Amino acid sequence: MAYAYLFKYIIIGDTGVGKSCLLLQFTDKRFQPVHDLTIGVEFGARMITIDGKQIKLQIWDTAGQESFRSITRSYYRGAAGALLVYDITRRDTFNHLTTWLEDARQHSNSNMVIMLIGNKRTQSAFPWTGIICIYSHKLTSLSAIFENVDLESRREVKKEEGEAFAREHGLIFMETSAKTASNVEEAFINTAKEIYEKIQEGVFDINNEANGIKIGPQHAATNATHAGNQGGQQAGGGCC
Amino acid sequence: MFGRSRSWVGGGHGKSSRNIHSLDHLKYLYHVLTKNTTVTEQNRNLLVETIRSITEILIWGDQNDSSVFDFFLEKNMFVFFLNILRQKSGRYVCVQLLQTLNILFENISHETSLYYLLSNNYVNSIIVHKFDFSDEEIMAYYISFLKTLSLKLNNHTVHFFYNEHTNDFALYTEAIKFFNHPESMVRIAVRTITLNVYKVSLDNQAMLHYIRDKTAVPYFSNLVWFIGSHVIELDDCVQTDEEHRNRGKLSDLVAEHLDHLHYLNDILIINCEFLNDVLTDHLLNRLFLPLYVYSLENQDKGGERPKISLPVSLYLLSQVFLIIHHAPLVNSLAEVILNGDLSEMYAKTEQDVQRSSAKPSIRCFIKPTETLERSLEMNKHKGKRRVQKRPNYKNVGEEEDEEKVPTEDAQEDAEKAKGTEGGSKGIKTSGESEEIEMVIMERSKLSELAASTSVQEQNTTDEEKSAAATCSESAQWSRPFLDMVYHALDSPDDDYHALFVLCLLYAMSHNKGIDPEKLERIQLPVPNAVEKTTYNHPLAERLIRIMNNAAQPDGKIRLATLELSCLLLKQQVLTSAGCIMKDVHLACLEGAREESVHLVRHFYKGEDIFLDMFEDEYRSMTMKPMNVEYLMMDASILLPPTGTPLTGIDFVKRLPCGDVEKTRRAIRVFFMLRSLSLQLRGEPETQLPLTREEDLIKTDDVLDLNNSDLIACTVITKDGGMVQRFLAVDIYQMSLVEPDVSRLGWGVVKFAGLLQDMQVTGVEDDSRALNITIHKPASSPHSKPFPILQATFIFSDHIRCIIAKQRLAKGRIQARRMKMQRIAALLDLPIQPTTEVLGFGLGSSTSTQHLPFRFYDQGRRGSSDPTVQRSVFASVDKVPGFAVAQCINQHSSPSLSSQSPPSASGSPSGSGSTSHCDSGGTSSSSTPSTAQSPADAPMTPELPKPHLPDQLVIVNETEADSKPSKNMARSAAVETASLSPSLVPAQQPTISLLCEDTADTLSVESLTLVPPVDPHSLRSLTGIPPLSTPAAACTEPLGEEAACAEPVGPAED
Repeated sequence: MAYAYLFKYIIIGDTGVGKSCLLLQFTDKRFQPVHDLTIGVEFGARMITIDGKQIKLQIWDTAGQESFRSITRSYYRGAAGALLVYDITRRDTFNHLTTWLEDARQHSNSNMVIMLIGNKRTQSAFPWTGIICIYSHKLTSLSAIFENVDLESRREVKKEEGEAFAREHGLIFMETSAKTASNVEEAFINTAKEIYEKIQEGVFDINNEANGIKIGPQHAATNATHAGNQGGQQAGGGCC
Repeated sequence: MFGRSRSWVGGGHGKSSRNIHSLDHLKYLYHVLTKNTTVTEQNRNLLVETIRSITEILIWGDQNDSSVFDFFLEKNMFVFFLNILRQKSGRYVCVQLLQTLNILFENISHETSLYYLLSNNYVNSIIVHKFDFSDEEIMAYYISFLKTLSLKLNNHTVHFFYNEHTNDFALYTEAIKFFNHPESMVRIAVRTITLNVYKVSLDNQAMLHYIRDKTAVPYFSNLVWFIGSHVIELDDCVQTDEEHRNRGKLSDLVAEHLDHLHYLNDILIINCEFLNDVLTDHLLNRLFLPLYVYSLENQDKGGERPKISLPVSLYLLSQVFLIIHHAPLVNSLAEVILNGDLSEMYAKTEQDVQRSSAKPSIRCFIKPTETLERSLEMNKHKGKRRVQKRPNYKNVGEEEDEEKVPTEDAQEDAEKAKGTEGGSKGIKTSGESEEIEMVIMERSKLSELAASTSVQEQNTTDEEKSAAATCSESAQWSRPFLDMVYHALDSPDDDYHALFVLCLLYAMSHNKGIDPEKLERIQLPVPNAVEKTTYNHPLAERLIRIMNNAAQPDGKIRLATLELSCLLLKQQVLTSAGCIMKDVHLACLEGAREESVHLVRHFYKGEDIFLDMFEDEYRSMTMKPMNVEYLMMDASILLPPTGTPLTGIDFVKRLPCGDVEKTRRAIRVFFMLRSLSLQLRGEPETQLPLTREEDLIKTDDVLDLNNSDLIACTVITKDGGMVQRFLAVDIYQMSLVEPDVSRLGWGVVKFAGLLQDMQVTGVEDDSRALNITIHKPASSPHSKPFPILQATFIFSDHIRCIIAKQRLAKGRIQARRMKMQRIAALLDLPIQPTTEVLGFGLGSSTSTQHLPFRFYDQGRRGSSDPTVQRSVFASVDKVPGFAVAQCINQHSSPSLSSQSPPSASGSPSGSGSTSHCDSGGTSSSSTPSTAQSPADAPMTPELPKPHLPDQLVIVNETEADSKPSKNMARSAAVETASLSPSLVPAQQPTISLLCEDTADTLSVESLTLVPPVDPHSLRSLTGIPPLSTPAAACTEPLGEEAACAEPVGPAED
């Protein structure tokens, strides 16, 4: 699988904010969230294209490992991007952001791109539809209105608050819904764009893999080995 | 990649979602599997999608309908998965399968569902399947799969993974084989898996025995070697560094080491005794002692043994003590460092060497004789695994190993052969079990030995204790490591080693695992020790020496070192009953504090910037107190101290560069020593911070405004809000109030902001409006100054608007000036002529020591920079020489005794003029314009006239209006534009000359504090005393200055 760069991401935030669902939503669309099923995963990879270059994103969820200090601190350091997620219907998850951010800043390399995500976790009577979704797709069905009312009544953190927090701490901000997949794509890709820009600016030391960035075989290898690689890959997974 | 393959099975999702999640559909999918038992190019996508759909149904079933699990089990559907996997079906299918397995195990929430999936041992078969681990994606999915499984481990599920009878624990043994995988995320996952396994093993004796007996020694010895190799690489990196080029790599290696320590600590705090014994033994005897501690003793003894440099070893040991608190480990380690004897060390090593080299208790850092994978194979069912050799990214490395240690390998092979003969799983070869028992016996013997020696050592008398504490004379105690540690504190050139030593001492004394008695023997008390009567004199003296050094203008002590010294000293001498420090030491400390006052005076200037810096430094010092653990996480301190900010090293961890930083440093040194001195004397801090929260008006305060001037206005905030308020200006703050409904003449504060951080600008097309912004100073390097008020104020007419503007601008100047006066008071600047005697008297004890330096300083500067001086004078002629004199007046006028901001009666005129002086002083102080050309002053006798207070105020007002108060760069630029570089420290040259000559003149002290004044100009000033009459108390100090200048004058002529 030839790629120009590989970016490693981590997803952080309180338990139960829907991190693993976001991850699966991004890496594998076949698991469609429309059924009343909450499915998540702790690891995923996906290829995206930025600026005509193939970029592979590898995303590691840190869930369930918070009890071991050594693990969380190592994760931070090995990542080029981090998605810091809170649940817009749970104020406490928003209140803990400062702690998460401090931790991240402390342990990560200073160039790590952090995106703040106000997520709406699923599991409501009406599957939730994100506001953005409603506005942009002009869903006017009764259920959509119900859902919106439902969401807004349970929303505990205003969008403006998220924006203000992001502005104050120099983060990118976005509200997403793993359920409807709204903005999920954008969240991951915008983060990648930011990292890519930093690479172009020469901020990241791309030769140091500890930063969470890897140069693809395509870039690193000479033409000869490149051809060899391709051959091997075709044999292996040519169809995907 | 996954997204693209949408086969017909998943295609109809939207419409038939009801059917997709059902037992029927699962039955259908089963049918598909049975029809496609062989993977071909054609059915590959179909199979992948089928497996994925099955996963989805299972997850759905877990939440909704358990019958699907019955069916799944009944039909043995896992076999199909395994079958597909074993067909070498290629990367695509492998990845898909691993991903769906991940999802499956991640999302199953019911225990019973999990049991269904885990029964029949299929999962273990998948774990030991020979995947192609050279493919990074397969590797990542595989290790995530193991990690997901490990998170599902508990007392019940563990039996599905660990088989007591066959001694098989694939999940664990397969995972640890990747402990040194080049990909960091894989290593992290391995660590997670092991930690999850250890946690569960606490409740499972059989498993625990298995882990300890079969895997602990191989795993830990390899892990320790892996860590050690990194450490040697790290040391290499430090040694070969040139101009900090290796910093990127270095910080990775340091972070790696920290990761390892935290990992080890996480294992230790699971508190599994069995494991901890083995781990402690390996860490101590294979890594910490032979590699870290023995490197402290820097002699060339020991020949070939691997060694690291002193700073690296001190640094790493500090990290060890900061992170690991496991009592047996840290006590043994501390014991060797504090009481270790070299002879013992060598004896032990020799003794050890005579034993077989494969024992873990040998105290040396050697490579494990075999790779982890091989050890694990040996320890288990041999032969079988040999045949099944998995393609491994490490294969190449293994062959190298074989070449290196041929003898061991031969031995091992022989053993292996034996094992193969032995055949089936679980049968231990006799040699093996003996070996393990021997290892354990060896260990217990050693620990007994250690225990006995430590008991012996604990029976020391008090005399011995104090002798031990005075390390330098401890002839009867040969403690090379401790000596080395103290010796490193003595380095006169820099604090490169000293910082590490202090960290190490700090870390040891704060380590919860260390027996306090151990530390008491060297009189290093733990923090909050109950009662102590003595302290470690040699250490205290060294600490005070560091402080004294730091207060020198060219001291090579970094702020971090100083802060740590202060911490350690406090920890030593402060008790609940007070300070137990001897008078002589206290006196030395006071001396250092005085020095620091002198140091700040060098840089003291009556500028806006100085005030901002002063307050910023105080804020950042109090808001971010030293965190030693964070300090020791920073790899940059491993390289010799540097002065250049270009390295990106934190200001407190390097030497200052340029005058701004020198000023900042001086201010910080002053703060630290002042606070230390106050604490040791048991006095509360009453002067700092300059603005105390509790003194300020806060929102919702109710004020009596009966005698205040209020201006009504409409406040329009940025977001469009509009409110009616009264504007009131206080000493330090402006506030917006609303009349109190219950009390006439009182008001409720709706907003209050510091005048000093305020910007006022007029609005172009509205003469009744002002734009007002108040910034909150940045609290952390990540945040920018944050506007707490950004609004347009509209007044009823333009007259009121002008009044408000003037009041605010004046208030701002006044607020700042008052603070400057408080700083002056803090620095013992003689403010009132009558108190100058006192001020000088206090300073005299240290000033004698201090003078030679200043004299030298002056001489050097004078000779090296004459041209600079000249050129500057040329541009300075705009500045009335008089302003300098005014400044002096200002500093001398307010009463010293009253230390608080002088009453507002401090004459408005005086305030106007002094504020102007401040800016004037800026320019003159920044240059050696002290020389201010004798000709200049006489030539400008008319200058005082424009000096009228009112005009001056206006000058400053406009300045204030246009300037963001916090923007140093800008205001500096403004000043430089018209005058000269502003942040060159106020220099002493001529003044110190004065001091030399007229050593006892009182005003000398005052002169050293102000923007430098040349004796010539001083003399010239004496000729024009009447000009300075506007300032209230000016004549007196002027007279004195003249007096002191006069003796110099002739000398210069």
